Amino acid sequence: MSVPAFTGSNVMDVDAAKIRGAGSNVHFDKVSVAYGAHVVLHPLTLDIAPGEILAMIGPSGSGKTTALRAVAGFVRPASGRIRIGATDVTDLPPYERGLGMVVQNYALFPHMRVEDNVAFGLRAQGADKALIGERVKDSLATVGMSGFSKRYPRELSGGQQQRVAIARALAVRPRVLLLDEPLSALDAQIRRNMVEEIAKLHRDLPGLTILYVTHDQTEALTLADKIAIMRDGRVSSHGPTAELYRRPPNRFTAEFLGRANLLPVTVAEGAAGPKGLATAKLGDAVLAGVARGEKPGDKTLLCIRPQHLSLTGDEEHTNRIVGTLREVHWQGELTHLVLDVDGTPVRVSATRLPVSLPERGSAMPLFFTPGDTSLVPEDVRG
Amino acid sequence: MLVWSRPGRMLIWAVFALLFGVLFLAPLAVILLSSLAEQWNGVLPSGLTIEHYSNVVRGAAWNAVNASLITGFLASALALVSGTWAALALRVQDATLARVLGVLFFIPSAVPSVSVGLGLLVAFSHPPLLLNGTIAIVMVAHFVLISAFTFGNVSAGLARLSPDFEQVASSLGARPAYRLWHVTLPLLAPYLVAAFGLSFALSMGELGATVMVYPPGWVTLPVSIFSLTDRGDVFAGAALTMVLVAVTLVLLLGLERVAGRQTRS
Amino acid sequence: MAEAAVLPASPALRRVPGRFWIVPPAALLALLFFYPLVLIVQQAFLDDSGMANVAEFARVLHARFFLNALLNTITISVAATAGCLIVGLVLGLILAFVPFPGSGVIARLIDTFIALPTFLVTLAFTFLYGSAGMLNAGLMEVFSLRAPPVDFLYSTWGVVLAEVTVYSPFVLRPLLAAFSLVDRGQIEAASVLGARPFRIVRQVILPAAVPALIAGGSLCLLLTVNEFGIVLFIGAKGVITLPLLIYSKAIQESAYQVACIIAVINIALSLGLFGLYRFAAGRMGM
Repeated sequence: MSVPAFTGSNVMDVDAAKIRGAGSNVHFDKVSVAYGAHVVLHPLTLDIAPGEILAMIGPSGSGKTTALRAVAGFVRPASGRIRIGATDVTDLPPYERGLGMVVQNYALFPHMRVEDNVAFGLRAQGADKALIGERVKDSLATVGMSGFSKRYPRELSGGQQQRVAIARALAVRPRVLLLDEPLSALDAQIRRNMVEEIAKLHRDLPGLTILYVTHDQTEALTLADKIAIMRDGRVSSHGPTAELYRRPPNRFTAEFLGRANLLPVTVAEGAAGPKGLATAKLGDAVLAGVARGEKPGDKTLLCIRPQHLSLTGDEEHTNRIVGTLREVHWQGELTHLVLDVDGTPVRVSATRLPVSLPERGSAMPLFFTPGDTSLVPEDVRG
Repeated sequence: MLVWSRPGRMLIWAVFALLFGVLFLAPLAVILLSSLAEQWNGVLPSGLTIEHYSNVVRGAAWNAVNASLITGFLASALALVSGTWAALALRVQDATLARVLGVLFFIPSAVPSVSVGLGLLVAFSHPPLLLNGTIAIVMVAHFVLISAFTFGNVSAGLARLSPDFEQVASSLGARPAYRLWHVTLPLLAPYLVAAFGLSFALSMGELGATVMVYPPGWVTLPVSIFSLTDRGDVFAGAALTMVLVAVTLVLLLGLERVAGRQTRS
Repeated sequence: MAEAAVLPASPALRRVPGRFWIVPPAALLALLFFYPLVLIVQQAFLDDSGMANVAEFARVLHARFFLNALLNTITISVAATAGCLIVGLVLGLILAFVPFPGSGVIARLIDTFIALPTFLVTLAFTFLYGSAGMLNAGLMEVFSLRAPPVDFLYSTWGVVLAEVTVYSPFVLRPLLAAFSLVDRGQIEAASVLGARPFRIVRQVILPAAVPALIAGGSLCLLLTVNEFGIVLFIGAKGVITLPLLIYSKAIQESAYQVACIIAVINIALSLGLFGLYRFAAGRMGM
């Protein structure tokens, strides 16, 4: 029995274990994928801990979907091994891997009612009737679709179809849930709700390991415990979500996760003090930023998020730069300003504006806290 | 809407009515009329009768209806199985091989039907493969000629089927056979039904290969219509043609409804 | 579930993808279609003693009956295809861009003509345009003529007209598909800018229709070269095409080798046109 989660009578036991939080980890061991000479995934080594949500994000063609499909078993790695829990699944066909999968267009079987869609996986594995009935009920309840079991997919809205698709994946008690751009076919409003629903689902089923592929950084920031940012078939950066956002290890990550102002600076003095601050020069201004081991004279980037820039200074906002005001966009809750600082456009998201804003084209100071910054090396492409 | 002026539109519709009337409507109408004609020496028949139709239900004509229906059914069923099988099996081949085989499966539709008949006569007139003179050779001829159409229809259906359905089914634990039976084939059903209907219709009207190979005692409708008109019995021929048209249309429209219902549910 | 040791996947679990499933249908087709095809070619080039012999092939190639049939086949095919393109284009333009109540039903009705036997039209034409048909009877009555004035049916043109009727739906079908993709906004914008309908057809619609016309036209060429029923039913002495010649040599004269030689040429011609059609349809993305 190489795949215990899917072999007849002990489906129940595994089920109980899953719910209480003994999920499986996923391990990529130097997994590469190539179509002929064209490498779409360079050797990837990555671990998803049991019960963790890992979001893989990146532009299209970055290899994120390929990585997910390698776990699912739809693409065969050119090299490397993939393990799920204790099982090396590299050579297993998809139907023996014990997964659940949700895709962008839901792919609900149009000729089956909701309940038959949800029951599909268990029936395919030959589970007994009583268990199937119970699981279908549970799974539909988990996603709040209990009242819809007799409907056909075409009678449901996009959001409802996606819930059924999730219920169908959960009904087999997957060792890992694969979500492939699950929300990108939905409207913005429904998408926000669904992100929250998935977060809640994971609170209810903390043992469920989830690999979440998306190009949407908001979904990733909201849901993921860890994020892997993919670029050109490689992991550009990988780490805990908040950490990646606060201390992006490279320019690509800084710009892909949220909005970032990246000011080209020259390091003046290496890191000093308990906060690990270095000082750097931007023209004549001397700024302090959180360092990652730079040496004096290094050319690097100072990353500061638009919401951390303040229009007024105080004892905390000790960094000061001066820019020329170019654009002002009022958006209700926020006002977006664009300034020109030594030729670099700098965006500011301000919740409060001073009583009188300077004219466009006039000079304007900006203030920020050294602790909100980080020094980010320029990407070396190639 | 391309033409905005009313007289312009009227003129264009008149052109359409003329073309459609002369090319499509008049032939059907005149066949219907002649199948009911007693005698026809002037512009219109001199009298109407259903005698030609009542002859259809007995004797040689009735045998022809039977022969056509049985041939059409068996050949279409076999073509459906073989075409679906081929289209499904082609998906797991290498791209180059799949392309080559795909063209090969289409080629029977490109070869003149008379040559298909000739080839069967040349190939299967000697033991151990003696089919000449049997009913089977008619079935085989029809099967060869329509197999490309079922293959094409099913392939087109498969191409439109999102791979997501089958992949999700696999990831949920469905083995290939289970997946084929519970996911792929039901999703293909509209195309299968349409393919069957089209093959049946083509088989019903097949003439070129059939006149080459048919044995005595298995005269299909088109062959029977040809020998009737060749003898000068045009009204009986017209009546049989109407029967052929009616059966074909009933089959096509009926199966279309079935297919439509399946897509809707 | 113990996660301590990594269980290696046993080699038995390496699935061989179902590649061999292609063998049964491919073998069936090979036996029932390609094997006979090979025998036709073999018969065409071998004499009775089994020796390779191209003399008979050369003789048939130069025979008057063959050259006549070849010329007829090509003339009819080209003329009928041209007719199909014109009729298909006119019908398609009206159905797509000057629709009227019920035009959808009419389009489907024309489409079902594809499934009807081809000889039906010929039979109908005998009643309509034959020497004792409606048209001639009417003209003779009105103008008190002795002999039927209309006499095109038992000629090449009768066959061409019948084939135009039967095969123009094959042009209409891809055309309507192509027209449905033409941006209506573009046409409206052109109209607003003052373009006359002919200009819009020429500059906006026709360019979009060219691939469909090529695909439909090459399919018509192929089908008209292969057409048998229409020619057989018209039964005019002077109108013999290649398929009809194969039939009469094999069945009426039992001259199988001659029939095979003509079949080889006919098949080669058809496969060439099939290649053209595949190329055109591929370009259209069909």
